[in-house]
Amino acid sequence: MEKKAGIGFYSFLVVFIFIVMFPFYWQFLTSLKTPNEIFTTFKLYTTEPSFQSYQTIFSVRPFAKYLYNSFIVGSLTTVFAIVIASFTAYAIARLKFKGKAIILGVVLAVSMFPQIAVISPIYMLIKNLGLRNTHLGLVIPYTTFALPLSVWYLTTFFKKIPFSLEEAAKIDGASIMQTFTRIIAPLAMPGVFTTAILVFIAAWNEYLFALTINVKDEMRTVPVGITMYVGQYTIPWGELAAATVVVTVPLIIMVLVFQKRIVSGLTSGAVKG
Amino acid sequence: MKKLKMSESYAGYLMVLPAIVIICAVALWPVVRSFWYSMFDLRLNHPAKSAVYLSYKLDMEKYVDTRFYVEGTLKELKENTAGHKGVEAAAVEQQLGTLHNQLMQSEAIASRYEPVKQLLDDFKPVSDATLRYVDLSREKARLYLNTIAEVTERLQALSTAENDAADQAVELMEEFRLSIMQPNFIGFGNYRYYLEELKVHNGKPGRLGMALLNTFYFTISSVFLELVLGLAIALLINKSFRGRGLVRAAILVPWAIPTAVSALMWKFLYDGQTGVVAKFCDMIGLVENPGILLTTRMGSMLSIIFADVWKTTPYMALLLLAGLQTIPVQLYEVGQVDGATKLQRFFKITLPLLKPTILVALLFRTLDAFRVFDLVFVLTGGGPANATETISVYAYKTMFAQMNFGRGATLSIVVFICITLISIGYVKILGADVLKDQAE
Repeated sequence: MEKKAGIGFYSFLVVFIFIVMFPFYWQFLTSLKTPNEIFTTFKLYTTEPSFQSYQTIFSVRPFAKYLYNSFIVGSLTTVFAIVIASFTAYAIARLKFKGKAIILGVVLAVSMFPQIAVISPIYMLIKNLGLRNTHLGLVIPYTTFALPLSVWYLTTFFKKIPFSLEEAAKIDGASIMQTFTRIIAPLAMPGVFTTAILVFIAAWNEYLFALTINVKDEMRTVPVGITMYVGQYTIPWGELAAATVVVTVPLIIMVLVFQKRIVSGLTSGAVKG
Repeated sequence: MKKLKMSESYAGYLMVLPAIVIICAVALWPVVRSFWYSMFDLRLNHPAKSAVYLSYKLDMEKYVDTRFYVEGTLKELKENTAGHKGVEAAAVEQQLGTLHNQLMQSEAIASRYEPVKQLLDDFKPVSDATLRYVDLSREKARLYLNTIAEVTERLQALSTAENDAADQAVELMEEFRLSIMQPNFIGFGNYRYYLEELKVHNGKPGRLGMALLNTFYFTISSVFLELVLGLAIALLINKSFRGRGLVRAAILVPWAIPTAVSALMWKFLYDGQTGVVAKFCDMIGLVENPGILLTTRMGSMLSIIFADVWKTTPYMALLLLAGLQTIPVQLYEVGQVDGATKLQRFFKITLPLLKPTILVALLFRTLDAFRVFDLVFVLTGGGPANATETISVYAYKTMFAQMNFGRGATLSIVVFICITLISIGYVKILGADVLKDQAE
């Protein structure tokens, strides 16, 4: 199966990457064009780049606030989900007790739940708790729906840690808590980190809960905030493009830096072995 | 040894507990609530239907407040009218007084009356729900409503000109009527309503039928395309070559950005005026004019499917690539020695060994595609004329644009049932092995 890559192969790759990356290039280009240029030309370059759109998004709408909100909500969700899921995953991977398959089954079933089926009661719950238009109002549902996959990934990672290490710790008289914090946790760090990246990206990208629960402009997250630029009659394409670039660049950097971890995390659920 | 085991399982349950509690409270319980809501005529923008009422309730705030105005108006009516009309006004007043006394016989109402009146006299709202709403028996509620209806009729007969005292009193009776919250439990009424929307009228399915068709159409086409293209890409890049890392990063970028943002990007690319993709399709003669992509039924559906394929095919390829890499190379070598052709090797070795990975990837993707919301909501908003409205978008609009939580919950239960059926189908094929492996 291992063959040398030929000219045909590389031309395929070029086409593939072009299709995947073209929308991003076009957004980047649009963000530098003047409104007049956007509406009149389809050129693949611009001769007079302007940063007007970038200035507008940070001055007219609270875009910096959107970024801040998304960052806070994403970080809190990640911390909560990882802490809670680590305990669950450790117990499932390592301890002997009855009903593990049922617990895992329920947890996995929840990951399949359509969000629309739970949105109205969760909306009522958050409203009754007085948590609408707060960060916590989003962190609660996000953490819940991040738990299933976190538990699944972390269980896989914990299982890869050699059992003998724990036996040794047990013989040396370590308690379950000590074994967990001193032996397992440090060894599981790479897996925890991978899971954390995935949870953070999922929380950063979530739309439906953010749209319904936080309706105050200064409490919106990035995905919802951006779509609110679209007016009834006019769409400020240049500003949208600038906002898209601002959101996408950090994600691209993250993907470039952590690509191996992300791929291993994404595929650990789907592939045995 | 036995003691040790006990403490181990105890610790196990303790460690699992937080996750289970949260999942039950914020994921499982809401599904039960959604089902519960779907049995009610629940509308957040309708004062008498904004909560779940299983029995008749009296809104004390409204009742006490209205009673104050009624007393004043009736007094005016009595003083300003002579003869038999004045007698009639007095009779009406007495009838309402009797009704009030009958209500006050109930301890629950009598004990709340004064505190509520006190609050209203101080111009304060009655925010305590237990103080404001009192359960009424069915008989009392009937009596109340019948009396108000009778009184309304009598007052109408007294009215001679528009907006005279009698006419004002009639309007106040309407307020009295609205002080009673009727139970809004309607059983499967919402479901019957939507069953009607499933039927075909004049060759066109109802809105729900259309939404379901759109959802299935979108799910099947996008998942099929993603599987075929993803498998092709995975097979092609399953070798060592220069720039592998770059390709992998490029693959991950569309997956990593928010769907709402990618939907906006495509909205711009498809735009009839400024969209470069629309322009391109027009140039190569794929469409008659660039506006077609987002303004026609076919064009907008295909646009959505293509945007989804663009965003998730790379992810599919990644999953399948990981599966391909677990197939031992020796198998192919043996196949080659035995003289199997490339095609044979693909169908006899690759596909069977890749089957579990394909099924898991298909399961994830089908469920994701079926509950699609962001992409459609941002790209077309379900338009033009509901042509791309999927069931999640329909449910969202019913709940948060019309504020009809009863009907919206019914639609979301329909989504839930569909998703459950799809999952069961896949799990049946996959077998429960995956779960068992992980739990052991």
